[in-house]
Amino acid sequence: MNRGQDSAFIALRRVVPGLALCTALSLAGEALVSALSLPLAGPILGLLAYTLWLARGRDSGWSRPGALLLARWLGALLVPVLVGLSLHAGRLADAWLPLTVLMVTTTLATALVTALLYRWLTQR
Amino acid sequence: MMPVLTSFAVCLAVILGFAAMRRLSGRLGHPAWANPVLATALVVIALLAALAVPMAAFQRLAVPLGWALGPAIVSLAAVADLARPLLAGRARAAVLAIIGGTLFGLALAFAMARLLGLEPLLVTALATKTISSPFLITILGRLDGPVAFAAALSVATGVVAAMLVPPLLTRLGVKDRDARALALGVSGHLVGSEYATRTDPERGGLAVIALVSAGLLAAVLLPLVWRWLV
Repeated sequence: MNRGQDSAFIALRRVVPGLALCTALSLAGEALVSALSLPLAGPILGLLAYTLWLARGRDSGWSRPGALLLARWLGALLVPVLVGLSLHAGRLADAWLPLTVLMVTTTLATALVTALLYRWLTQR
Repeated sequence: MMPVLTSFAVCLAVILGFAAMRRLSGRLGHPAWANPVLATALVVIALLAALAVPMAAFQRLAVPLGWALGPAIVSLAAVADLARPLLAGRARAAVLAIIGGTLFGLALAFAMARLLGLEPLLVTALATKTISSPFLITILGRLDGPVAFAAALSVATGVVAAMLVPPLLTRLGVKDRDARALALGVSGHLVGSEYATRTDPERGGLAVIALVSAGLLAAVLLPLVWRWLV
């Protein structure tokens, strides 16, 4: 094996455990949710389980490179969801002005309340 | 070409397109207006129109990207974990700010949608767009709401937040980086956190903590108050 292949192999070995763990936790979450008809999305259960495990802080380092790699590409996975908005162009065209006003106002107001509340609570 | 290969090619093209847009945004210094999620989506829409490919066909071919969304959401725990040291001694303030921002956002979206006289389906979708898509899929699944439409609106809300919240907070003199990250997480969920992580990796974790807490709060609260609101 030449050096290039060698380093690619090492990089792959670093990320595969984390990728496998996230996939396994997501699937386990889905299975648990459908088996017990829980009122939560499967991946959210997986996320909570992984959070608790990381907070215990023991022997979790091996999972981080893969998990951080996956998180870095989350934006790409959201592209088809956003493109899907154009399927509803008709519904949006009828009410585009109130819709835009509402989206922008509520989003900015939510951010502002969160930021100012946090600043006020930490500066008291 | 075989459908599996076409699907693989479409997914790869979306990922490479996103990588190119993210790199371009990085070259420009990650300005809020150069959002790679929005830019890639616009290129996809333009290409589909130019090639006369039906939108539904693209959605079918891009399904594998949706499969990866579950594991990617689990992986956010590792990003959130990076921010844990930042919360030392300030966890109570962060939790209260997240709860306050979420409740205010939900109430304002409901009130405005009703006041503006929007149709019930839009009211439902707009009320839940204040939270992240994996949570609203859960909530709307139980409330019989328009899942795909609301998920798309939620991502669009994230884009609005990632583009407008940072300049607004700068203009208002909110310099505290923790406050900025929490605000982006609550208002812009996944896309907001993506921006926060790109520009300030440690604080991206704070945005993730905010989006998960806001989503959990809404998942518990909305089904309880839904009957009185719709």
